[in-house]
Amino acid sequence: MSRTRSPLLLIVALLAPAIAGLVVFRLYPIGLAVSDSFFNMVRGRQVFVGLDNYLSLIADSTFWKSLQVTLWFNLLINPIQIALSLGLALLYVQKFRGVGFYRFLFLIPIGVSLPVAVIIWRIMLSQDGLVNGLIGMAGIPAQPWLTSEGLALYSIIAIATWKGISYWMIFIIGGLQNISTEIYEAARLDGASAWQRLWHITIPLLRPTLLFVLVADVSINFLLFAPIFMLTQGGPADSTNVLMYEAYKSGFIFGDMGRAMAIIVVVVLILLVIVGLQFRLLNGKQGAR
Amino acid sequence: MARPVRNGLRLGFRHLGYIAVAFVFVLPLWWAIVSSLRPNMEVFADIFPFTAKALVPVPFSLEAYEGIFQRGFGQIIANTMLVAIITMIGGLVVNGLAGFAFAVFDFKGKNAILTLIIISFMLPFEAIALPLYSVTLQLGWLDNIAALIVPSVANGLAVFLFYQFFKEVPKDYLEAARLDGANWFDVLRHVYVPLSIPTCISAGLLLFVFQWEAFLWPLLAMPSQQFKVIQVGMAAFQQQYQTIWNQLFAVAVITALIPIALLMPLQRYYVQGLAGAGLKG
Repeated sequence: MSRTRSPLLLIVALLAPAIAGLVVFRLYPIGLAVSDSFFNMVRGRQVFVGLDNYLSLIADSTFWKSLQVTLWFNLLINPIQIALSLGLALLYVQKFRGVGFYRFLFLIPIGVSLPVAVIIWRIMLSQDGLVNGLIGMAGIPAQPWLTSEGLALYSIIAIATWKGISYWMIFIIGGLQNISTEIYEAARLDGASAWQRLWHITIPLLRPTLLFVLVADVSINFLLFAPIFMLTQGGPADSTNVLMYEAYKSGFIFGDMGRAMAIIVVVVLILLVIVGLQFRLLNGKQGAR
Repeated sequence: MARPVRNGLRLGFRHLGYIAVAFVFVLPLWWAIVSSLRPNMEVFADIFPFTAKALVPVPFSLEAYEGIFQRGFGQIIANTMLVAIITMIGGLVVNGLAGFAFAVFDFKGKNAILTLIIISFMLPFEAIALPLYSVTLQLGWLDNIAALIVPSVANGLAVFLFYQFFKEVPKDYLEAARLDGANWFDVLRHVYVPLSIPTCISAGLLLFVFQWEAFLWPLLAMPSQQFKVIQVGMAAFQQQYQTIWNQLFAVAVITALIPIALLMPLQRYYVQGLAGAGLKG
């Protein structure tokens, strides 16, 4: 009886809450960002200014400096995170007595939220903190990890990497589990070393997973600003002032939402170009094989 | 005779390598735990010059934990639990139903909508935090607890996890149940829900951890801070009581240990759930 009834109504009812949520709280904000970037607040009223917010960015040296910081930050953090999470995943999937304990320890940073990680690391990296104590054992003088122009960005990279690689490791584990053990057995019988097996079997077969992780990781890091917000507020001397933090400052400290949204739109556009390039370069190679 | 010795050595080196890696992951949390269990004056003892005593809680004291609960930290934990659990339950229902619909039915525009959902979870929350603030203003939800919960219920990754799982369920089950005259809700309740418990666990953990770790959004959406969630409360604590180091560490330790205690027994589900998503994504 009920079989004759088309389930269209049911499909709509099942999908509606999720789709509505995603449209209102994910897609609509994106549209809003784009439209707000064409307006400025003048004496409490929104005034349409066309491309003014974008054009003024071009002449804005703070913006260019911030773009430079963002690109340099990403050029470092993404390869580092992916290489380390691959290494960690390889350690995770090994099988021997007691590995379960280590596996659990590798997952600890997932439970440690970014604010917790930041607070603990901030104290560890302070002038008389644990890190300076440890390097002091090797006779290295204490370093101003978070307060010097030359080190702050790298300290943030280290903290974000500590927090992030466990999460990316999980996805790579999925890819590793998908590679059949017979291939490894065959390679082993052929006398391939562990290193050769990694380069010629694991990494090529892992390509789709690595592409996914690369794209997702770049997206997150390109827009990352919570640790900067909590640790350095863009300083010292703007050395950690990534674009998303510049946008936040614009919108919430200087009340210039138009400029803030224009920066976010630019950031997302650059990100889309980068992601597009990654897909072309990495998928293209696979297609050619 | 030489062989067992060599194997033993190799095993030893292997453990040494793993211990070195694990040390890096454990050290910050361990140090935080140790420091939270010391009297405040002793937190930075034994660091300059560094001795191994810095890594054991001697002298031992629980004053930090007593202190933070006197300052109302218990209320903040309760607030966060409330937000995280409502989000988790709502999210399991909403995203589970959507995943079920995508997996079981064919309809026009299905692939387009699925693609849109995948895009929605590839774009990190940070990109939309500022515009989402404008949406919340328009809805009049600023400083309302709904602003913390409702935007996080629908989750593209959770929809995707359920979709992937339900797709693998053999259609025979469904046909058999339908032939027996069961309606769709019976099918969902008696066939799909019981099968999907592992997926529910991994999606539930995902939603819970997401809310537990939320910092930026509660900070923007609740400007008056009448209702504090844990990450914001912790950051505020840091600004307010900067030099009560042991209490600051105690706050950080509790904030970290609650999700870790959840993840530990359910680790397998969490890893398998996410690992599967990466494969198809």
